[in-house]
Amino acid sequence: MPEITETGERAPALAVAGLNVDFGRGRSRKRVIDEVSFEIAPGEAVGVIGETGSGKSTIARSVLGLVRPAAGSSVRVAGREVTGLSARELRAHRRTGLVQYVFQDPQRSLDQDLTVGHSVAEPLLLQGVLGRAEIRDAVRREFEEVQLDPALAGRFPAELSGGQRQRVAIARALITKPRLLILDEPVSALDSANRVKILELLARLRSSQVALLFISHDLGSVAGVTERTLVLYRGQLVESGATAQIVNAPEHPYTRLLVGSAPTLSAGSIDRVRRNELRDELHPAG
Amino acid sequence: MTSTSTGPLGDVVLELNEVTIHDDLADNELVHGVSFTLRRGGVVGIVGESGSGKSLTCRAVLGLLPQHIEVSGGTIELLGHNAAALTPKQWTGLRGTSISAVFQDPASYLNPSIRVGKQVQEVLRVKKGQSRAEARRGTLELFEAVHLRDPEAVYRQYPHELSGGMLQRVLIASAIALEPDVLIADEATTALDVTVQAEILDLLASLRARTGLALIVVSHDLAVVAQLCDEVLVMKDGAVLEQGATRDILYAPQHEYSRLLIAEHEQYGLERYLDSPAALPELREEELDYA
Amino acid sequence: MIKTVLKLPSARIALVMLAFIAFITVFGPLLAPYDPLENTAQNLAAPSAAHWFGTDYLGRDVLSRILAGAPLSVASTVLVAGIALVVGAIPGILSVYATAVFEWISLRVVDTFIALPFLVFAVAMTALLGNGMVQAMIAVGLLVSPLFYRVARSATLSVARSQYVEAAVLAGATTGWIVRTHVWSKVLPPIAISLATTLGVGLVVISSLQFLGIGVQPPTPTWGGILASDLGYLPQQPYAPLFPTALILVTVLAFNLLADAIRDAAGESGRSLVGAKAAKANRARRLAASGYSLTPSKEHA
Repeated sequence: MPEITETGERAPALAVAGLNVDFGRGRSRKRVIDEVSFEIAPGEAVGVIGETGSGKSTIARSVLGLVRPAAGSSVRVAGREVTGLSARELRAHRRTGLVQYVFQDPQRSLDQDLTVGHSVAEPLLLQGVLGRAEIRDAVRREFEEVQLDPALAGRFPAELSGGQRQRVAIARALITKPRLLILDEPVSALDSANRVKILELLARLRSSQVALLFISHDLGSVAGVTERTLVLYRGQLVESGATAQIVNAPEHPYTRLLVGSAPTLSAGSIDRVRRNELRDELHPAG
Repeated sequence: MTSTSTGPLGDVVLELNEVTIHDDLADNELVHGVSFTLRRGGVVGIVGESGSGKSLTCRAVLGLLPQHIEVSGGTIELLGHNAAALTPKQWTGLRGTSISAVFQDPASYLNPSIRVGKQVQEVLRVKKGQSRAEARRGTLELFEAVHLRDPEAVYRQYPHELSGGMLQRVLIASAIALEPDVLIADEATTALDVTVQAEILDLLASLRARTGLALIVVSHDLAVVAQLCDEVLVMKDGAVLEQGATRDILYAPQHEYSRLLIAEHEQYGLERYLDSPAALPELREEELDYA
Repeated sequence: MIKTVLKLPSARIALVMLAFIAFITVFGPLLAPYDPLENTAQNLAAPSAAHWFGTDYLGRDVLSRILAGAPLSVASTVLVAGIALVVGAIPGILSVYATAVFEWISLRVVDTFIALPFLVFAVAMTALLGNGMVQAMIAVGLLVSPLFYRVARSATLSVARSQYVEAAVLAGATTGWIVRTHVWSKVLPPIAISLATTLGVGLVVISSLQFLGIGVQPPTPTWGGILASDLGYLPQQPYAPLFPTALILVTVLAFNLLADAIRDAAGESGRSLVGAKAAKANRARRLAASGYSLTPSKEHA
């Protein structure tokens, strides 16, 4: 298979090419992702920013194989094409744990009736390769990796704080040594102190070889941990570049609107008149 | 006692003095002494996490504390009324006409099976005793005032047909329908997109400039509060850690926690990349008052 | 959760009553002092040292008949609940994971069962399959099964849509893995509640059928059958129906108490009931300590 030769350390962690996704059938068919292409190198941290309905979650779901892209789209994770896999192949691919996903709200993404150690161990249990003792060791290592006391492994999610729960969720994602970690608003359900700590933790992960893909509606919330930002508007990639450049010199009117609307400490958001000008620029007809 | 909306005190509309709130179920104090004074046209901001006591303080001001939770000390004076002396009936009279609120999740405050226009119109009919036609006209004017683009169309729509930002506008319209003196915005923009948040914050600022509405803005995000407020309270675990003029807290934070809130923005927010903060125009009130 | 259930007094009372019923179900026929089918000299005798509950219209010992009737009455109830559980809960869980066709068909079948009237269906079934207890039990079991179907389905649905299940799917879990690891623990408590309720309802339905003579042949003693024959001789023995009725009542009551106890232990309601009392005490203590008066001074602007 040609994939094998490409599945080296040097292959991009994620390569999306000509991604199209349609929702609905027949006449009510609607294109929600329109010709999106981008790559993420190993160890790189990239943010996909878009507001409600921009299609940012659909991109993540396409990469995870939860959404079937239109014909001709290509999504390669660590060199391996993941579109068009059968259910069985997809399951086998997921068990490799090359790509992992962290949900927004750890309260809901952890089973309340399982100990957090069990939840973290689940991907390894599914792989069925390691023995009990080895899995227990791996869980302990992963707890230390995300700066959690391994003694907490026997607790239930309800007994942990929000920040601890999100660490557990990240540990579950890291335990399979993924090449790509997709994080959907990973800090927006947390309070400030924990937001900073989780962002610190994620920033530290960048020194390892795992590539990070942040999905967020708010450029401000993940700007500090991404080196590159992709701006998504109505299913299209309208701008991409270094995060510093996107923040300081946005080009596309939508990016300017987005950056300008985010309140900062030193200045409020841009005023209504300017926003309306940008909106007019975005949609000259309407 | 009547609930006249303009109290004899004139300038001060709401005054909290060392308010403590107690949970009788767990038998512990949840809020340990909150004091602030809100004047007509003024804005007080409260920053804190969930569980910091900011929402409980707002609920106490609204007379809507959950069961088993009570104001256990201090005084709340709303338009000259001692809040502790108000009967449930008097509270009902005051809410809406003197003080009202908007919260985080607008959809859950509207009945999904009734057109939104009718729900706002009902407020005017029941509380102001207006006729159907008057109330309808009043509702359309309110929708206009909260910058809903096509008031006539929105009037006929059901909640599920509107976006989160539009729903929040409808709720703000409903909250200001009875011309209250105080409006509480408790995480009112948290669930909204950034561009929509900017518009709602604008709307609140313009309402304040135009009508002298006093605002309490509650948020976990210091930047949101900083944009609107003259005075800020930083709360954590039920205690006010720091309180003062917004500028002072932003540029000379005294408490470690306030510094953390600022550091979050500087390290991980847009501020990390902004070369010159002055590049973005500062918000001026005159520009907002485009009525 | 079993521990929490056992902490509730109502659950303990229910279990004591059920232990008694289980005891007479297992050992009843052995304990019976007389042959339940044997006619003695006296018809319709009053309770006495020889016949604790008296004798019936054929002179048979009532206590012996009740004890001998226990296995048939209680065991058939358990069987009805068992049938309902298997026929209802398993398709209920499967309906969420199997194909849309299975889901559609199973939903329509369940709707049909709900629409059918109990007794009429049971009568029709026994007319069709012969007048036997097993046929009657299958009929009743089928008719009660929609309860389990719905409970299992709704519990499974809420779990199936949860993010932790999606997380498991993304880690490559099969449906079987998800059901074993994540679904079981959420579906079990509501099913246990339904099972306890169904056991109570089932006994009433089974007794009604026996009362009507469906599923049993006359000489065989059953609680419903004894009740039916007693009613014919009310002028002579107005107290007679009390014995079988009391047993049916105790059993149904015990199952309902147990169902309530499980529900309380599984949900918030139990805790808040206990909490309200504590809150009142805490409040009184706080007020006494601080001297802060809740009847505020009457002054205001």
